Amino acid sequence: MSVLELAGVHTYYGDSHILEGVDLDVSEGEVVALAGRNGVGKTTTLRTILQLTPPREGEITFRGESLVGLETHDVAARGLGWIPEDRRIFGQLTVEENLRAAIPEPGDVAAGLDLAFESFPILEERRGQDAGTLSGGQQQMLAIARGLVGDNDLLLVDEPSEGLAPQIVADVAEALSRASEDVTMLLVEQNLPLALDLADRFYILDKGRVVDEGETAAVSADDERFRRYLSA
Amino acid sequence: MYDVLLNSPVSAEAQTLLPTVETMVGVLYFGLFAISFDFVSGYTGYLSFGHAVFYGTGAYTVILVANGKVPLLGPGTPFMLSLLVGGLLAVVLAILVGLVSFRLSGVYFAMITLGFAQVLYVFVRGWDYVANNPRDGPAVGPSHVEGFQIGVPGVDQLSLAIGVLTGDEVSLLGSTLSSTAVSYYMVGLVVLGCYFAMQRIIHSPFGRVLLAIRENEERAVAVGYNTYLYKLGAFAISGFFAAVAGGLFAGFRRSASPENSFYFLVTGDALLASIIGGFGTLAGPLYGRLFDETVREFLSPAGQGGGLLPYLRALLGQETLDAAVVGNETVGGLIDLLLNGHASLYVGIVFVLFVLYVPDGLLGTLRSRVGGTFAEAVPARIWGDDR
Amino acid sequence: MILEALADFLTVSELGGVVVNGLAKSALYVMIASGLTLIFGLMGVLNFAHGSLTMVGAYLGGLLMVVTVSGGTPPLTRLALFFVAVVVAFALLSVLGGAIETTIIRPLYDRPPIYQILLTFGLTLVIEEVVRIVLDVYGLQPISDWQAALATKPQFLREPVALGPVSVGWMAMFQILLGTLTVAGIWAFLTKTRYGLYIRAGSEDAEMASALGIDVRQVFTVVFALGIGLAGAAGTLLMWDPTWGASVPLAAETLLPAFIVVIVGGLGTFRGTVVAALVVGMTDAVTTWWFQNAIEFTGLPELVLFLVLVVTLIVRPQGLFGVEEVGGH
Repeated sequence: MSVLELAGVHTYYGDSHILEGVDLDVSEGEVVALAGRNGVGKTTTLRTILQLTPPREGEITFRGESLVGLETHDVAARGLGWIPEDRRIFGQLTVEENLRAAIPEPGDVAAGLDLAFESFPILEERRGQDAGTLSGGQQQMLAIARGLVGDNDLLLVDEPSEGLAPQIVADVAEALSRASEDVTMLLVEQNLPLALDLADRFYILDKGRVVDEGETAAVSADDERFRRYLSA
Repeated sequence: MYDVLLNSPVSAEAQTLLPTVETMVGVLYFGLFAISFDFVSGYTGYLSFGHAVFYGTGAYTVILVANGKVPLLGPGTPFMLSLLVGGLLAVVLAILVGLVSFRLSGVYFAMITLGFAQVLYVFVRGWDYVANNPRDGPAVGPSHVEGFQIGVPGVDQLSLAIGVLTGDEVSLLGSTLSSTAVSYYMVGLVVLGCYFAMQRIIHSPFGRVLLAIRENEERAVAVGYNTYLYKLGAFAISGFFAAVAGGLFAGFRRSASPENSFYFLVTGDALLASIIGGFGTLAGPLYGRLFDETVREFLSPAGQGGGLLPYLRALLGQETLDAAVVGNETVGGLIDLLLNGHASLYVGIVFVLFVLYVPDGLLGTLRSRVGGTFAEAVPARIWGDDR
Repeated sequence: MILEALADFLTVSELGGVVVNGLAKSALYVMIASGLTLIFGLMGVLNFAHGSLTMVGAYLGGLLMVVTVSGGTPPLTRLALFFVAVVVAFALLSVLGGAIETTIIRPLYDRPPIYQILLTFGLTLVIEEVVRIVLDVYGLQPISDWQAALATKPQFLREPVALGPVSVGWMAMFQILLGTLTVAGIWAFLTKTRYGLYIRAGSEDAEMASALGIDVRQVFTVVFALGIGLAGAAGTLLMWDPTWGASVPLAAETLLPAFIVVIVGGLGTFRGTVVAALVVGMTDAVTTWWFQNAIEFTGLPELVLFLVLVVTLIVRPQGLFGVEEVGGH
């Protein structure tokens, strides 16, 4: 059963037409990867779903209800979490405060914190520290943890491996893989082998449109289908 | 023109609606100040919140020169020269302030220019060299009793003095122009000259870089412009004309005070004029000031020229005025309360509405309606678009 | 002459007096500036109407005192009524602030920040003129301080108290107390409450906060209301201070120091505002002493405060505690 559905979504930044009719759907429990070159509209797709950059045309439904026209916080309250590019943790807040800000109201704060610290013990060690002083990998863990404690059904994950050392990338992948046992994910990831490893299905985006899609089990990262749209 | 209207059948209405000639002189010199403010703030997007400091520099220079308090320049120095000296002093000041201020942008730029201006404001207010009572500011003293002359220095036939009491009267084709009317035309001449100079600069390649800075400074830098120098240049030019405006103000009024020249609320008035007239339109602020002054005079206390209050009083008659409305408040009392001298309220409301709904101002909105400046659009409408 | 004055300045009684006066001034500065800094920190709106609203608070607080206090009211009752007046002024101005935010500030968030400056600047004209009209009705002078409001102050607050060798005014002690309470209250609200957490999160990254389910728009309204409420509370306190007092020019008199404090501290950081208020308050007290005792230039304290602003912007534009992102707002 599909959780999230986009049909004919058009999005603009000012006058520039970024999404030119995106169609995709994500089913319950799936991990779906969104691949494509830089600037084809992957991040914009996620922002459009969250109504941070509302679409000018088209329909977006979550569990059968339209998200178009809602305020972002209402979208989030329906169970959509965002783990954005560059992580965007609150640097001047402590680790614990970052997590508390993400726990919905009225929510069980203690249970939320337990969940986060269980998944990422390092965060418990650093709970009183300003989040801005964490390393890049730890910040990414915190961003993921924030998505987990938000009582979300669907996580929109944007470039989780970007700018991290290979060893750390493996940790992040491991964390995402564990998280995906409980939640549905739409994943934007430049690192194709990683994306294919995590995802069940994939979409390829080019020039604001979905140009290809399929099951990840059937393809490998050096497949012709990817080379055509992903190589520079 | 004003006189003709006053002698016409609609004289009561005309006197009510139109500002006096004296007010119009103020509209001109302050309009020039507002234009100079727009030149830097409207065109580069850097809000020069301390702009009053240049206006004050020009005003104080003129008075101090006339009082013989400026080294090398005696009281007999031609007015046109003191205007120029004031302008050049402002240029130096603008460069000094700009050198450090243009490393900042946005709110920070507004605040640092405000800070510099207030330092000078406080300083001038306490410096007893400029006047016996520096808090009240200087006035032109006995060393310069004659009016300030606008025209070609040294050529009497080509110069006319300004000022309500000290200005020249001119007989022309059988009608006499009062000293105020002469001041109006002479000040207008200088303001017009300054406006054309600034307009030339804005339409030059230099001006196009300023616009590029407002639209997207990073791109302007990327294209290879040293935007810092352009901004500094615009600031200096704008400071020069602000000082000329201040000089005209001092020349006409023959006195200045820290409050009406250096104080930050003077910049606020220029901002007001710019927004109502149209930010980044150059000519707009003059119309904005005209609007501001017209409303103020329209609602001014009784006894100064026309205005709404005497008109309403005459129109309604004493009986209506004495009628009670609420409690023991009479119609007259209520009118008095809401209108007498409270023009700032209505100007403020209009200003807020403009910011919210007419962000381009009067001239900006009209221009976008007709599609271009009037000089281009009106002939095009009349003659057809075949050129 | 200068050395003599310096020796005098450094005696315990003089220096002690300057420090206490400095703390009292700091307390006032922190009260007039904290609302401004909260609003800027979250919304990036530099509220030019802050001074005018402080002035409204001064009149409102004064009105409450004048109405409730009569000649025979004992001092402690007057103090109690004063605290009630502070709370009422805070509440009423919060409501006004909320109304201003939802009706006229909200449509401007999508425009360049300059428009918010312009709008709040226009607001000052309207507010001040409305106050003048109201004063007209009651026959009060808009320019001079409202004496009737000053007269509601209990007698003992006009008298000095000896702290060892140092003689300070009770009023200064009272101001220090109120300033400390205000700072402690705001600090506790920001760090100990859920709403405070939302405010700090939203100040750092409003978009991310909304994506976490926080209704940032609502937080904006609440913070604007609270910020204006603080201006009202500050005004009520100033109404009792003879060097400020309730008058229409109080608007500009408080706006400029408030700007200095928030810029020196770093726009939008509450910690910075507290420290900057101390710096500015102390500088003010020290220069005021020198003006009264040694240097004749009348505008000395004011001049030095603006120099502090300018020098801060030149040397460290982001302020003492600001994040290095100048012009970001």
